[in-house]
Amino acid sequence: MEALLFNVSGGFLEGIVRGYKAGLLTQNQYNNLTQCETIEDLRTQLSATDYGNFLANEPMPISTSTISEKATQVLVDQFNFLRSNAVEPLSKFLEYMTYAYMIDNIVLVITGTLHGRNVDELLQRCHPLGMFDTLGTLGAATNGEELYHFVLRDTPLASYFRDSVSAADLDDLNIEIIRNTLYKAYLEDFDAFCETLGAPTADIMHNILSFEADRRAINITINSFGTQLSKEQRAKLFPTIGRLFPEGNNALARADDIEQVRQACEAISEYRTFFEASTGAPRANGNGAGESSANLLGDLSDELGAAADLEDRFFVHEVHLNKLAFLQQFQYAVFFSYIKLKEQEIRSLTWIAECIAQNARDRIHDFIPTF
Amino acid sequence: MATQQDRNLLAVIGDEDSVTGLLLAGIGNVGQDQKKNFLVVDSKTQIPVIEQAFEEFTTRKDIAILLINQHIAEKIRPMVDKYQAAFPALLEIPSKDHPYDPSKDSILKRVQKLFGE
Amino acid sequence: MSGTGPRENIFPTRMALTNTKLRLKGAQTGHSLLAKKRDALTTRFRAILRRVDEAKRKMGRVMQLASFSLAEVTYATGDISYLVQEQAKSASFKVKARQENVSGVVLPAFEVDRVPGSDFNLTGLGRGGQQVLKAKEVYAKAVETLVELASLQTAFMILDEVIRATNRRVNAIEHVVIPRLENTIKYITSELDEMDREEFFRLKKVQGKKKRDAEASEALRKALGAQEEEASAAPDVAGGGGDLLGSKDEDVIF
Repeated sequence: MEALLFNVSGGFLEGIVRGYKAGLLTQNQYNNLTQCETIEDLRTQLSATDYGNFLANEPMPISTSTISEKATQVLVDQFNFLRSNAVEPLSKFLEYMTYAYMIDNIVLVITGTLHGRNVDELLQRCHPLGMFDTLGTLGAATNGEELYHFVLRDTPLASYFRDSVSAADLDDLNIEIIRNTLYKAYLEDFDAFCETLGAPTADIMHNILSFEADRRAINITINSFGTQLSKEQRAKLFPTIGRLFPEGNNALARADDIEQVRQACEAISEYRTFFEASTGAPRANGNGAGESSANLLGDLSDELGAAADLEDRFFVHEVHLNKLAFLQQFQYAVFFSYIKLKEQEIRSLTWIAECIAQNARDRIHDFIPTF
Repeated sequence: MATQQDRNLLAVIGDEDSVTGLLLAGIGNVGQDQKKNFLVVDSKTQIPVIEQAFEEFTTRKDIAILLINQHIAEKIRPMVDKYQAAFPALLEIPSKDHPYDPSKDSILKRVQKLFGE
Repeated sequence: MSGTGPRENIFPTRMALTNTKLRLKGAQTGHSLLAKKRDALTTRFRAILRRVDEAKRKMGRVMQLASFSLAEVTYATGDISYLVQEQAKSASFKVKARQENVSGVVLPAFEVDRVPGSDFNLTGLGRGGQQVLKAKEVYAKAVETLVELASLQTAFMILDEVIRATNRRVNAIEHVVIPRLENTIKYITSELDEMDREEFFRLKKVQGKKKRDAEASEALRKALGAQEEEASAAPDVAGGGGDLLGSKDEDVIF
């Protein structure tokens, strides 16, 4: 059924997105990039890839942030092209994707507004994928109360706000909590929406989203150690769609150290490997940098390193899941996956540029290749 | 000596990344009147703004150390070179995109002159 | 002579000479003390100089490492700079000034005064919190290095200033005060010598005069004495008549 009628509305764009996907950097190209001596070399190498001349008009020296900005612009252009050609339900699906960025943008604007910053300045810093027309009006609010009502009434995220945040919560301390509460609501809502699209989109998206949910739950747990975030507050931030839900989430909510987090994730075989490997010896290629920095700075605790490692493993797994999405045809998850992969690619690119700029060649291979 | 003991803040004039990092370390301080002890300089920041901040930070009584990115110090070099007072201590620090160049540092220049003589 | 160099404008007396000599002594002691102080400071200065140089280079590396950890944050979390800037409220990383005494010069040294602050500890809660934490630590270490460097540098500036001042004073004493005092002493001595010579000459002159006067009066006295003798002898001969041989008698025919 899906397969029969999918191409009527989605075939063209699926073709496009698969074409885009073919343009992602290959392992070979990554190898070439890591060989670069200077940013100038990097630019030359990149001009041979799908990015083309995106840096051609930039004055030297190019900063890494410019590279990331321009690369994001490429992504945004592609996304906007997809979006403008999309019809229901794909357009709705794409819109849902932008909500994640909107959350970040709104949080940014709220923070800025609470400090009386100029809205134009704030808008320049917002992620272009998360822009919406009424974002600018948020700046008109002068205090938390007003802001809350504006946000509640005017933004696409209104329903998330209504369900999870009250006006009194809008202050500095809670801003990260708000962000994560919103994100939780968003993930759950997105998952519910995908469910309405039916298989195979729902299946694949559910995989990806539940991993995202679990990742957030684990991260929130680990990151809240030693902060004033109470366990009850912490538990409220866990999305309820992950594979860890509900037993794992309950265990996480009670966890006091990383060992307990590990135990909570024991039930899921894929997650078990994250912890197994990360408690072992540090990676070979990270070793050199670790030593030199340990000499200079004294040793930072091992747990920190292990947890940072964990983050990398999450990224690898996310890339893996997103790659799997391309194995099935006639579904919308490819759009989501493509954007995520492209984002990962931009991160990797920025990382490589950063390593070149800062002369940290021993860490240059620590990025996560997409294909 | 009491005035020195009141100086307990660090101030910074730097590019976005340097400032972010230093703020993460916890040096950030915003007074009651929204007076900050840091200034973010980007390519759009006008030189008079930097100069004014420099002036302000060097005359404030609660700042013990002023950190400034070297490439920004370059922009207001005459002012930096003219600054001789011991308090607040002026420190030129490298930034991400501009590796440290000892030959431009106003203090190190003096050090080298003294070594050279 | 006393006119060759600048000297103090005082009356050349023995009293003044003693005073000036005392002052010269004082100046010389002061000079050697100051010179010692200068040497002590310079030793210290050299040591600090080397450490400043070292620390500056170390700072280059540490800051690079720190900004690299920030790159890791950006990689994991995205751009957090704006949030961090906005969330900064009160400093949890402060410094305290401590004082150190080197040869009577008070050198301030900054000490890290870190209170566990709660700023930003929820930053990156959902993603990259560990990197943020790591970056915080790395930057804190880097700032410690910077603070250390700042103390060294302040010490450097102050010592530099003090050494200059001490040098000026040493040089002033050596090249102005001491020569002037020496000139004054020379002047006084030469004036006193001059006076001595004058006195001597005067005495000589007086003595000469006295001698001459004495001779003159002697001569006079002698002359007077002779006259007196003559005067007293004549009546004797004439009036005495006792010297028969001395007087002629017309009755005696030989």
